[in-house]
Amino acid sequence: MLPRLMRFADVLVGERGEGTVLLSRALHCMLAEQYRYQVGTALDVWAFGEIYRNWLHELRGHANPVTQAKIADAGFEELFYQEVDGYLDTPVVGFLSGLPAQQRLTLLLVYGEGFDHEDAGRVLDVGTDIIAARLVRVSAALADRLSARPPAPAAAIVETLYPEGFRGSP
Amino acid sequence: MTELSDELLVAYVDGQLARKQTRAVEKVLDQDDFIAARVEALKQAHNRLEAAFEAILAGEEMDVSAVSVSVQVQESSLNEQSITKVALAGVGIAVALVLAAVGYGWPLSFPGLTPGAQGVTLPVQTAPVTSGWQEEAARAHALLSRASVEVGLKSQSNPDFVAFQLGRILGTDVKLPNLEPQGFRFVRAQVLRSGGEPLTQILFLGSSGAPLALYAKKGEGSGTLTPKHYGAIGTVGWAEEGVAYLLAGEAEDGLLMRIATKIKLEPASPLRSAPKAQTSVNGAMNTDR
Repeated sequence: MLPRLMRFADVLVGERGEGTVLLSRALHCMLAEQYRYQVGTALDVWAFGEIYRNWLHELRGHANPVTQAKIADAGFEELFYQEVDGYLDTPVVGFLSGLPAQQRLTLLLVYGEGFDHEDAGRVLDVGTDIIAARLVRVSAALADRLSARPPAPAAAIVETLYPEGFRGSP
Repeated sequence: MTELSDELLVAYVDGQLARKQTRAVEKVLDQDDFIAARVEALKQAHNRLEAAFEAILAGEEMDVSAVSVSVQVQESSLNEQSITKVALAGVGIAVALVLAAVGYGWPLSFPGLTPGAQGVTLPVQTAPVTSGWQEEAARAHALLSRASVEVGLKSQSNPDFVAFQLGRILGTDVKLPNLEPQGFRFVRAQVLRSGGEPLTQILFLGSSGAPLALYAKKGEGSGTLTPKHYGAIGTVGWAEEGVAYLLAGEAEDGLLMRIATKIKLEPASPLRSAPKAQTSVNGAMNTDR
């Protein structure tokens, strides 16, 4: 379970060092407030929720929470393990790093952890309709970005701009 | 061209649609290239997201395994990298503690780990119960040893002789309490095995219900009576004079605790030599006296 908790914290803050610190703080809170755990709740759902609530609590203490929530691309790229084939899906990594933390976590919980919308909503303290709406918005945006054609060279653009009849002879 | 919203298509790609809806979407996909291309793009996005999250998890797993190795071989000199690894190891330990505290309901006290936090002691803990009779049977079977079958405890009607044999098998004196006043009569004793070592089981029966068992194994432990629950089975464990005892049964917690207290307070009577087995001859001699 430890790697999954670490991934959750790292994806949330967008960087490994800060993620480890967040996870450590959240675990201390969980130990101190273990009485809040309700029997019957999936342990991973509870633990993810506690990490998220810790992050949210700390974020609210900042003067400018929006700036604090932004992540650096370089640190985020380092989260992806590339030793197998050295391949890094740069468009997806860039897309994820540009998302708000809540949307990034929604994707992680549903596509990474395989949670259903209900459990993902429990972790992020939102309803299943919001989870579904986030998935549609983010999936559609990523699909748009991935299926967009690469920009054509300038000459090709000129070709399309002028119909046959108006094309000048060399 | 058919109009299908992204909402519906994402739900289709994620497998969230009912069978009937899925078939309807698939019918449209066969007829409409534009929608089919959109679904393909959404599928690709979905797959690449899954792969990206897998790549992060692979990195975390590598880190965790590297930490467990580095902590094992850790030298006294700490460089910057090893400090990070030790921090990660601390997180790992904390996770284990959280799992222990929450998942298994173990009582925990962490002096110095959580400043100001008091140790929590739960009066009765609940441990997970195995599911399925096959697993339960397999676990029970693991307790049987060759001695369970080969070593027959002779004269089960003579408690002193049974206690002597159990003591010889365990290598130390073991208690065989008389629980008649508590409404439980001694039925039989047998030898099981745990961790390659003998484990004795002494069975008692009340006027109704499941049997009560007193398990004993050579070993040290806390002398405090510790109640615990494994599903419907209640237990009280303690150790004294080199023997760890566990009283188990489906009786109510208070009764189990009273019986365990009675057994604990009862002194074990050391048996230096084998008492005579209860036979028809010496039984008659005893009656004659």
